[in-house]
Amino acid sequence: MFLVNLTLAQLLAILGTVSLGVVALYLWDRSRRRLTVPTLRFWTVSAMAAEVKRRKRIQQPWSLLLQLLGLALLLLAVAQLRLGTPGFSARDHVLLLDTSAWMAARPNGRALMEAARDSALKYVRGMPSGDRLMLVRADALATPATSFESNRKVLEDAINASEPGATALDLEQAMDFAVRARARQGGTGEIIYIGPGRTRRQPARAVPGLRVIPAGAAVSNCGIRSIGMRRSASDADVWEILVAVENYGTSRRVADLSLAFGGSPIGSRRVSVDAGKTVTEAFRLRTRGGGRLEAKVEPGDDFEGNHSAAIEVPARPVLRVAVYTEQPDLLRPVFAAGPELDPLFRTPAEYSATADADIVVLDRFSPAVRPQRPAIWIEPPGGAPVYPSGPAGAAALTRWRTDHPLGAGLRTRDLRLASAQPLQPADGDIVIAESDRGPLAVAREGEPKTVVLGFDPMRSRMRFDLATPLLFANILRWMHPDAFRRWELNASSVGDVTIETESETGDVRVADASGRPLPFTRQPRSIRFFVGSPGTVRVTTGDSETVQSLVLPELAETVWKPPKGVRIGLPGFTDSGSGFVELWPWLALAGLLALVLEWMLYGRPREARRPVQVRAAARGTR
Amino acid sequence: MAREPLIDRSFLEKLERLAMRWQASFRGRIGGHNLSKFSGPGQEFLDHRHFHEGDDVRAVNWRAYLRFEKLFLKIFRVEPHIPIRLMVDTSASMGTGDGAKFEYARKLAAALCYVGLVNLDSITLQPFAGSLADPLACAGGRHKFAPAVEFLEKLEARGKTDYLGIVRQFIPRYSQRGLLIVVSDFLDDGGCEDPLQYLADFGHELMLVQLWAEEDRTPPWEGDLELADSETGARLRVEFDSRARESYTAAFDEYSRRIRRLALRNGGRYAGLSTAVPIEEAIFGTLARAGAVE
Repeated sequence: MFLVNLTLAQLLAILGTVSLGVVALYLWDRSRRRLTVPTLRFWTVSAMAAEVKRRKRIQQPWSLLLQLLGLALLLLAVAQLRLGTPGFSARDHVLLLDTSAWMAARPNGRALMEAARDSALKYVRGMPSGDRLMLVRADALATPATSFESNRKVLEDAINASEPGATALDLEQAMDFAVRARARQGGTGEIIYIGPGRTRRQPARAVPGLRVIPAGAAVSNCGIRSIGMRRSASDADVWEILVAVENYGTSRRVADLSLAFGGSPIGSRRVSVDAGKTVTEAFRLRTRGGGRLEAKVEPGDDFEGNHSAAIEVPARPVLRVAVYTEQPDLLRPVFAAGPELDPLFRTPAEYSATADADIVVLDRFSPAVRPQRPAIWIEPPGGAPVYPSGPAGAAALTRWRTDHPLGAGLRTRDLRLASAQPLQPADGDIVIAESDRGPLAVAREGEPKTVVLGFDPMRSRMRFDLATPLLFANILRWMHPDAFRRWELNASSVGDVTIETESETGDVRVADASGRPLPFTRQPRSIRFFVGSPGTVRVTTGDSETVQSLVLPELAETVWKPPKGVRIGLPGFTDSGSGFVELWPWLALAGLLALVLEWMLYGRPREARRPVQVRAAARGTR
Repeated sequence: MAREPLIDRSFLEKLERLAMRWQASFRGRIGGHNLSKFSGPGQEFLDHRHFHEGDDVRAVNWRAYLRFEKLFLKIFRVEPHIPIRLMVDTSASMGTGDGAKFEYARKLAAALCYVGLVNLDSITLQPFAGSLADPLACAGGRHKFAPAVEFLEKLEARGKTDYLGIVRQFIPRYSQRGLLIVVSDFLDDGGCEDPLQYLADFGHELMLVQLWAEEDRTPPWEGDLELADSETGARLRVEFDSRARESYTAAFDEYSRRIRRLALRNGGRYAGLSTAVPIEEAIFGTLARAGAVE
């Protein structure tokens, strides 16, 4: 028998003090009272019986004893008296319940998660009453579901609420977390891992006090690992598709891989995959429109989560260019060359300020009303947004601004223009080309974007230079970058995602489907980020955009084997009793009962006879 | 701070429908409202008797004479005004505790005085303790009530009760018999029963109103008590417990019963009132049932 909250000396000191106070109050309450009464006539008669009694200092010893007993019992309850050995103390365990995606597998018709939950519940129910347990749901991140808790109901509810996630188990990280949590509590309990042990990586070190409770049987699974799509370099209307199928089981599997776009099949293959191996199959899809690409692996097996995956394929963007010119043949080679462009040639007489086009080209023509779309002014006769700085005449083009996207890659040598109109750029304008007479090409930001060329590239020697198509390509890309963006679509698993990039510099933006930025790590020629739940992530780098459809569960490939010395299976719990019996609830109850009994026997009559509470019990007429 | 009036107006309005009643027949001035067994000038026919010389011929029944040729005299029941004496105990025992008993006695006396005044009775307020104090005679209607209230408010509870002494003073002072209302706790170490018996024997009709505070009858205290008599100063130390309390209450009740028997034995009335009973309920309940008012 021992006390938890107080030492024996403290208990005796407090008990002695309280007892002295109670006795003092008792004696004071029952001390002699001096009263003035109307007459002594009746007192003399009534006191005769009382005076024959033996005079005692303490007139109601049982009242005092009951009070002292009640207070002593309550004090012992506060001191938390326990019946048992003081050396034994409760232990704090950490239970790592595997909630990785693999736990959704159903070998033999029963989910691994159900088996793990059952094992966890058995452990909790058999745990000694004084022990406490922290439930940690372990997948890619170890997440505590409870604090160190001795309430079985709370623990069982948390276990029953545990469901498989979408990421793979990171056992090393989970064990590190458990070791730290246990150390904060004194490190007396054990760490219990319940799961199949399929993890991203093997734990680097052994964990003392580890118990492993295996969950479930061997799982047979062959499913999609990833899907990659990108436009063909030779044909912009063709998507090149790569589908990787992996066999996560322990034996060779033959499966049928089929692809469908917008509900229509586009190809199927029969693949044979060895255990633990990956097979990649290539497909081609020709389409300009958008739709849903779905890949399926059949037949089904123990894990259904990776048997199908889908990607939303965007339609190929087309840039509509309205060209107002008297000589369309000169400009046709420039604007009809790329598949991204849809040029429409019109005469200046057909000009409309609100033309249905993405970009307007005004070839040596100045309309009365400026276009409300991004516009390219070629050698305007007047009325252009950028004013001329002098009379038109011959000029030598001296410099391209190659550090700006508008002038990237432009190079000409000894180019003299027979007719060129020098321009007067305003503040904030971008000078693309300069001559010995001043700026000849100026771009203006704002809405809409505007580029004014003081010369006509197609009517000069520059017509035969590579700089001419490059100049228009740069202008069109600057005005409508989305139309020239390179797309890459991937379907892969959640968790850690790594995307290769072409350059080490440039702006990078990683956002989820709702446009909310996601944190990422930039490494040389790659970007890493973590996504814990299925969804879509867009990664924009320069002029390319990668759409990452994280729809596949992350399945780990490494199977952890518990090292020797680790306890396996549920404990017997026969030798793990709490070592003590909590007495404080009974002591508190007994103390309260003693005080209530004293009040009922002695206190209540006393209270009822207080002068202030004299009942109006009139006798009435006699 | 204005002192609270002894009796409020609404209660006085209720008292106006009451009248003092007594049982005995007294000789007194004609014109009262209580019937008497004595004959005399009055309105209510009582009996016939033979005419004797010297009788008032106006009372001869001439119809009977014509029929029997004998003179018969009609006699009538007299309705006298009889004196009411209201004795209020002002001894120190009435002021023990929080003084509720004395306050109750003053309120009760004021209420009874008002009932008498409304019915044109003549009432004498006679305070007493060890002796009779100066009285106040009230008569002539309700507008004489204010001096009575003022008189009662000036009373103080002090002195030792001596019933024998006050009876010796009372009998020669009030020779005309009448209704005698005594409002007191009747706690006199010398005993009050014999003096009260003297008053009854003298011819007064006794209306004894015994007052007690609840702790007077059932003391709430327990344990070691040192008691002091409020009138004599005598001290007594007792061990008081529940059994002693029962004995005390039994002795008190027995004393009350003796006073009650004394009143009833002499044709009077008795009312025992605890101060816990509201004064209105005491008048309209206890005293009305006792026959003091109706």
